[in-house]
Amino acid sequence: MAADALRGSHGPARQHLLTADFGTPGLHRLDVYRRCGGYGSLEKALKEMAPEEVHAEVKTSGLRGRGGAGFATGTKWGFLPKDVPGPRYVVVNADESEPGTSKDRYLMENSPHLLLEGACIAAYAVGAHQIWIYLRGEYDKPYRLLTAAIAELRREGILGPSPFGRDHLLELQIYRGHGAYICGEETALLDSLEGKRGQPRSRPPFPAVKGAWGRPTLLNNVETLSALPWIVMHGGAEYAKFGTDRSRGTRLLSVSGNVEKPGVYEVELGVTFRHVIMELAGGPSPGRRVKVFWPGGSSAQVLPESMLDTTTDLDELARVGSMAGSGGVIVMDDAHCVVRAAHRLLRFYANESCGKCTPCRTGGNWAVRTYERILAGEGSALDLQILDRIQDSLQNGRCLCALGDSAGFVIMSTMKYFRDEYEEHALRNECSAERTAAVHA
Amino acid sequence: MALSEHAVEEIKALPGRFPEVRSAVMPALDIAQEELGFLTPDAMSEVAGLLKLDPGYVEGIATFYSLFHLEPTGRHHFSVCTNLSCTLRGAVEICDHIKRRIGVEKFNEVSADGLFSLEEVECLGACEYAPMMRYQHEFHYDLTAEKLDALIDAARRGAANGR
Repeated sequence: MAADALRGSHGPARQHLLTADFGTPGLHRLDVYRRCGGYGSLEKALKEMAPEEVHAEVKTSGLRGRGGAGFATGTKWGFLPKDVPGPRYVVVNADESEPGTSKDRYLMENSPHLLLEGACIAAYAVGAHQIWIYLRGEYDKPYRLLTAAIAELRREGILGPSPFGRDHLLELQIYRGHGAYICGEETALLDSLEGKRGQPRSRPPFPAVKGAWGRPTLLNNVETLSALPWIVMHGGAEYAKFGTDRSRGTRLLSVSGNVEKPGVYEVELGVTFRHVIMELAGGPSPGRRVKVFWPGGSSAQVLPESMLDTTTDLDELARVGSMAGSGGVIVMDDAHCVVRAAHRLLRFYANESCGKCTPCRTGGNWAVRTYERILAGEGSALDLQILDRIQDSLQNGRCLCALGDSAGFVIMSTMKYFRDEYEEHALRNECSAERTAAVHA
Repeated sequence: MALSEHAVEEIKALPGRFPEVRSAVMPALDIAQEELGFLTPDAMSEVAGLLKLDPGYVEGIATFYSLFHLEPTGRHHFSVCTNLSCTLRGAVEICDHIKRRIGVEKFNEVSADGLFSLEEVECLGACEYAPMMRYQHEFHYDLTAEKLDALIDAARRGAANGR
């Protein structure tokens, strides 16, 4: 295997709540993880705290889901009914596949036990005994590391009938995905876990009430769960001291594309994208400028260079017409063509549509064909109107899940900031970018 | 081509791991694909029979998920990410290089010697190492023409030595 030196946050720093121990040799092993204090939080929760107290700390922390929607984690936990007898599940969404996002892989490869500890804490807090990790099928190394880590936990009795002497059975299984972006959407994920084609369900009922196999189910993202050990150990109030008023704590941003130091960086929420892109990731290569960036995965509306001072605060990103999404920061420099990049992403969304909702099933392909016409020099003003109609028809609640909206956002936001480039292509068959072939396979 | 006795036993043991039998379909298809290289209609029917499910249901799963192959692939199959983060760092050039070196015109075409194929895949979640690919159940990072040449040459040497 190719050498894969750690590219991103590791070692102690004020804002490294999750990644401080990353880089410690052997951290994926239980003995090393425990020497770093690992499973101290689960032990504390099981021995000293009632499930409601764990839940209260998470509420106090202000933690919001790190998968994409940014929903308050403590509130989500509260949706699980208290008094329903029979099995209930915790399902870990480890199906990371938002383009430009690699932070869950980074977490699982560096510290698989951090996720497992967080998932066990969540299971205890919501009264679940069975945890399922829905792991992206292509993630071979995380699968190997997690499988070995789970075996260690069973040997040590941390998974089993009485973890740390507490009478609360914990069991955990990995379920591997098989290559479908849509399964990152939580209800499609549940269908896939149940052995079906992964297609989003209409809600209500919400998974908290009727989730996996019709049972109450808590779904949380890898990073969200990986923050729990810190919160339980130090308290929700300490966690809430990081970040901004409505975006507490830290998060991991995967920075990729045209930057000198691509990597996964843990930042305190509220820092600017200028800091993330230009300082942490080193900015574009010398002589190049940032042309455009996607602040939260390819599904987040693009922002131009002039908006680099926007902060990572979730609500501020929503205010400027984008979203924090998955924390995947894709940077494109001024050598590249926005229309071609948009075409590449529309191919992705068209390809990954599950086919359930008509606007997404047909709109994506229609957009791709329109882009192809424009890029072949056969475009016209009508094609720009068509793109505008398609982006509208994909959005605004016309599809069951956000995949349609995401495809619409790409068209809408690139046209909003780079109308001139679209007109260059569609009306004059010109392109001012240097590396025109780069994003065309 | 039928599944081996070992694969059949493995598949029969799967439903016990899940609350409902359907969850066993994908792991069962994995076992079949690992053994046969790709999923033939017969293999899908056999899996369905072992799990007591309708063959059409099993095929519906196999056709939905991109990690299931319904056509043969080369024994050495390159899955190169061509999503944005990787193409901004040269993934298209990497794909063109692989095509030339293994002698295929298109994606998903198997080389004449049956040894190689190249698939274009969506973001594999290792964007800080772009351009990257998945090959033989490993991620390969910071791809260059030289790295690909070394892998292709090693595969050809291995084939010549009967491996």
